[in-house]
Amino acid sequence: MDLRWHHFALWAAFIGGMLALPQFVSSGTLRTIIFANYLAIFAISWDILSGRTGYISFGHPFLIGIGAYTTAILTKRFDIAVEYAIPSAVLMTMVGGLILFLPALRIKGSYFALVTLAFMELIYQLVQVIRPDLTGGTRGMSGIPTLTLGARDGFYLSFSLMAAIALSMWLLMRTRLGTALSAIGMNEESVRGSGLSTTRLKLFAFLTGAFVAGLGGAFYVHYLGSIAPRALFDINFLFTILVAALIGGLSTVIGPMLGAFFLTFLLEYLRPYLPGAERYFIYGGIALLLYMYEPKGILHLFSRGLDRWRERVSS
Amino acid sequence: MAQIIIQGLLLSGLYALIAMGFTLIFSVGRVLNLAYGSYLMIGGYVYFYLTQLLGVPKIVGILMATVAGCVVGLLIYRLLVKQLKGDHVAIEISTLILAVVLQAGIVLLFGDSSKILLPIVPGVIHVGGATVTFSILAATIISWVILIGIYIFIRKTHTGRAMQAVSMDAKGAAISGIDSDRINMITWGISGTLGAVAGVFFASYTQLSPSMWVAPLIIAIAVVIVGGIGSIIGTLVVAHIIGFMEILTTAILAPEMRGVFTMLLIIGVLVIRPRGLFGREEL
Repeated sequence: MDLRWHHFALWAAFIGGMLALPQFVSSGTLRTIIFANYLAIFAISWDILSGRTGYISFGHPFLIGIGAYTTAILTKRFDIAVEYAIPSAVLMTMVGGLILFLPALRIKGSYFALVTLAFMELIYQLVQVIRPDLTGGTRGMSGIPTLTLGARDGFYLSFSLMAAIALSMWLLMRTRLGTALSAIGMNEESVRGSGLSTTRLKLFAFLTGAFVAGLGGAFYVHYLGSIAPRALFDINFLFTILVAALIGGLSTVIGPMLGAFFLTFLLEYLRPYLPGAERYFIYGGIALLLYMYEPKGILHLFSRGLDRWRERVSS
Repeated sequence: MAQIIIQGLLLSGLYALIAMGFTLIFSVGRVLNLAYGSYLMIGGYVYFYLTQLLGVPKIVGILMATVAGCVVGLLIYRLLVKQLKGDHVAIEISTLILAVVLQAGIVLLFGDSSKILLPIVPGVIHVGGATVTFSILAATIISWVILIGIYIFIRKTHTGRAMQAVSMDAKGAAISGIDSDRINMITWGISGTLGAVAGVFFASYTQLSPSMWVAPLIIAIAVVIVGGIGSIIGTLVVAHIIGFMEILTTAILAPEMRGVFTMLLIIGVLVIRPRGLFGREEL
């Protein structure tokens, strides 16, 4: 493990700074940050599953949706306490991750992405038809118990969750396991050739990705208090997650976080000028250009700029 | 019973037309163009704008829609697909992003609400208890004409045979002196044109809305995945399987379940037999 003290100093500064934030900013800004936090969680989980291993999943809302729906149904329809509902939701999502993993045994690349897309559309249609008394059908559910009241508490909860996930994933990815996962994305055959079981590594990546997605989805639904199939199992939602991870930088933990904050704040600043769905136009345009010309994301741009600056200082 | 057969045939003809352009690109360039649904959307909206807002004759509207589709297809190939140089996953991701961008563009121009297209050919006919609008009948006939035309084009003409060659082995085709870039350009142009025509008819079958590109894209994906690479006959057969299954599930189970079979088909075939039912040995 390549750990330096200044990494931890940076993490501590970041977490400390964010925790002090409610003292300085308005609750409107805090609400924006809450969304950024959840988006960051989803983007990190997408990156674990897809960004590292190269098995691009277009069905990530499938996993998030399982987590969100499980806890929503358990708390709302069966009056089960949130302490039990969220862990069961995470477990269910990991089962979902297992389902997603099965096709990954046989196919990869663009075909795998299509299968996951089909999974998402399938569950979108099934949720509306099968047991609408439980899922609320097309209209979804509202009145799901919320965990926090007010923007400040919501911010603390979402940020602690995000920071805990980000930090543990960052540590995990610095181990040999994390290196092996990224190696699968580069060349799966040679990972197998060096005597590692790619199946087990992939299974691990899928389960971890599903774990994080389920956790994020469950807490997110308890923040929103409502759930609807079209808001969740939607290509636009997938697009937001994907774009956050892509603009930030794949195969990093900081990248998706950065991307999520960048996107959410961009959206917030665009709101006065472009109130509706038009902002996806700007979003997507930026993402597309960046993806075409700088596939490694903003993080890479930053670090390259930093290197250049260092060179100039030292010379 | 007669009603199911008639409706199934009509819907399947439309689906075959929708899937055709997607099959062509996938066969020749091995590229899954997730922005394909946008061609349909653009075709539909161009037709709507010209005929219903400007009052241009319908035939001119359809022609302009095809021109728009062709141009968009060529632009996507030039500016996006060619730049990514055969990185299939990157093409898939960027075309998906592009599709959402185009959807947002449509919202920007025409607003969020869905629009009803006036029937292209007004009139209704009753056949064996089924009500058949002339619009969908015309769509089916035109789709069959186009399908047969494409089949002949690919089998008989020099360019069509070059397309087949590139589809089988791009390197081998290049050695035989085929300019695969030119062939790809032609294919993307044809694909955009077909998509736009299909879009006009698809929009008159359902309605125009900024999110109308998703459903035909999924149908096209299903048809191509199940039909297999480079198989026009496969496309035709699978379009009929999916069309009939949709009509049957609508009639027997529930209209909301319409797409479930299509999704299961995609998942099942990709997991069990990734080269498709009619495709060449590959992958």
